[in-house]
Amino acid sequence: MIPTLLLTLATAANLAPVTGTQDDERTRWSIHAEKIYAAPGELIENGSVRVDAGKITRLGSGGGGDISVYAITAGLVDASVRIHEDRLSVEESSEIQPALRVADTLDPFSHLWQRQLRSGVTTVMVSPLDRNVVGGLSVVLKTGGPENIAARTVAVDAALCGAIGSSPSRGNHAVYGLPTDFFSRRPTTRMGVEWEWRRAFYDAALAQRHGAELDEDARGLLQVLAGVRPLFIQAWATQDIRTAAFFVEEMAREDFGQIRLIVDAAAEAWKEPAFLVRTGAGVVLPPFPHNGRSGPDRAFTAWSSAAQLHAAGIPLALSSHGAQSPADRLDRQAGYAMRGGLPFDAALAAVTLTPARMLGVDESVGSIAVGKDADLVLWNGEPFAATSRAVGVLLEGRLIVDPREEN
Amino acid sequence: MLILSLALASLAPASKPLAPVSEVFAIRAEQLHLADGTVLENGLVLVDGDTIAAVGSGVSVPAGAALVEHAGHLTTGLIALGEHAGGSGELRDSTRTVLAGGRLAHAFAPGHSQLEALLAEGITSLVLAPSAGSLSAGCTAVVKSAGDTVVSERAQLHIGLSSASLLSNRRPTSYSGALRDLEALLSSAHGDFGAAARGELPVLIEARSRHEVQRAVAFVAEHKLRGAISGAPLAGELAADIAAAGLSVISDPRSPGASQRSIDALLSLAEAGVPFGFKLASPARHANTLRMGVALCVRRGLSPATALRSLTVDAARIAGVDERIGALATGRDADLVLWSGHPTDLTSSVKAVLIDGQLVYGEL
Repeated sequence: MIPTLLLTLATAANLAPVTGTQDDERTRWSIHAEKIYAAPGELIENGSVRVDAGKITRLGSGGGGDISVYAITAGLVDASVRIHEDRLSVEESSEIQPALRVADTLDPFSHLWQRQLRSGVTTVMVSPLDRNVVGGLSVVLKTGGPENIAARTVAVDAALCGAIGSSPSRGNHAVYGLPTDFFSRRPTTRMGVEWEWRRAFYDAALAQRHGAELDEDARGLLQVLAGVRPLFIQAWATQDIRTAAFFVEEMAREDFGQIRLIVDAAAEAWKEPAFLVRTGAGVVLPPFPHNGRSGPDRAFTAWSSAAQLHAAGIPLALSSHGAQSPADRLDRQAGYAMRGGLPFDAALAAVTLTPARMLGVDESVGSIAVGKDADLVLWNGEPFAATSRAVGVLLEGRLIVDPREEN
Repeated sequence: MLILSLALASLAPASKPLAPVSEVFAIRAEQLHLADGTVLENGLVLVDGDTIAAVGSGVSVPAGAALVEHAGHLTTGLIALGEHAGGSGELRDSTRTVLAGGRLAHAFAPGHSQLEALLAEGITSLVLAPSAGSLSAGCTAVVKSAGDTVVSERAQLHIGLSSASLLSNRRPTSYSGALRDLEALLSSAHGDFGAAARGELPVLIEARSRHEVQRAVAFVAEHKLRGAISGAPLAGELAADIAAAGLSVISDPRSPGASQRSIDALLSLAEAGVPFGFKLASPARHANTLRMGVALCVRRGLSPATALRSLTVDAARIAGVDERIGALATGRDADLVLWSGHPTDLTSSVKAVLIDGQLVYGEL
């Protein structure tokens, strides 16, 4: 008996690597789970998900599986990661760059993509570095797949990105003696940043109104006024969030257009949610800080911030905002938000469907539904619980992290 | 008196023949390397003035012409792609990002002392390319390492798409800004950029990391340019993309400290059929790294014939001067190197070098 058992084990061990190699190529899977959190508010118990050729082909109760885990959620969506080439990702020769694409600056070979993917984040939006008032066009892309940005892209020009606060004005200075570089310029203050936003949009809108010739920068701004894509503004502190909301209201008041506003890194949005409700803005929260303070302006976030924004009815997404430590990963953020009172379904929405909707990619990602991309996270316990983690990840039907292996 | 004459000799213009051979002469070598990789046993090269008049096994030597017998290998002169001879500070104008119409040929200092080190390694031609820090520093030049011959003063249009091309206080500061500015220059259809856009002038695109290579390849494909990517140690890992875009690769010099991965990347280029050549960083110190690079590749499995091509005919094609140099063939410049053994074998040494038919190093 014992020799037979040993032989069986040995055979299984010998076969394992071969199976693993085949599984890397395999795109047909059936995965069983005790709980499938298909979408916020949509739980299937003791069910299975079938995927084929990159898409979800069946979702329902019962059914066996090649793999069985405790829970399945859709692949997580992070609207604010910072896997960009820092200062090479933003064109600082002018503060207003509405026509440049951050997609042209990314490195598909960076190890940071894999780190996101292995933690369950399958779709991300990358914005230019926050050194400009208007930094440029963001891109939504998958965190894995071919080592080629174009091949991974889900949505080009997903949002026009910029910043309000101390970041855009940081490098600028007044002219001392002879100006030797382009940093001798506005803005040097928050007030100047706000002025640059208004000037750029006023110039574009008035040029259009008067039938003047429009350059590609003006056209980029006008597309935001026309609602073609959202405006994604980084604003940590409450005064900057106010400025963003007032700016959007002013553009509507002047009859320039109705901007779809998303406030990124909105650490203090919880303080005055009324402004955001009034403008119909969405919010992306940065990671919860261990001491309450975060960002360049030491903005204050409480554990209850996410719950308060949710209660106010504001579309809410959580993000890692480029944080590297495992404690700041996106799945942890959902757990922290729940600890602060956010219901599970709202936490799930904040890391899947809501950011997908904000970025206009919810037709393909953000929930488990037949026809959507087969991006799945497999959990060994309740998702986002402190004792659980993502033990398996599928990206477009490929098993990136195998829960059957030690990982 | 002797001291004085030596001093005078060193001041003599480099354009003067250093050691005149007769006007018409021939060299017969035990092993004569042709551009297609074939080796002629006891092959003969007939030189008339500064040009090769004939090459072959059965070439007859005219009456009165000298015949040199060489018990070793004979190749055309080696070509270094990218070179800082004459002071690296002269190879870029730091006051502007784009020096439209710039000519590196004007930075050529014939007879510069640094050039002598090249001759001892059999390097007879070099491409003067700009140092990093520009979006475009103008056109590279191909010059001889002795004498004042400028083979081409408009060889390749330099384009910088590496992080070193972007400065934080001058437009452009970003990859996206660089692409936008370059697109505007190409679409203007003027001057060198217009010539490059029409495919008349090859480009030399600086890139270092793999994503920079990828960006450069996409840019070249989009704008239908031709040319080479320079300075990316792992470019070979994207050999398929580079081959599909019809590009070549200019490799940094490889010293014995080079990583196995970067050597294997060069081998991948050869497998994918991507022509490649080598540049030198500083000729006075590193002239021997040109042959060192190919020797490291040969040790990892590159065929000596391909290795030699990377230093001769492929390099000449990359620089767009293969009608003048890079091969032992009738009508080409009489740039000849007499070796003790195979040139990719590091134990071989240079016995003599001729440039434009003139003996400039060693003895015949």
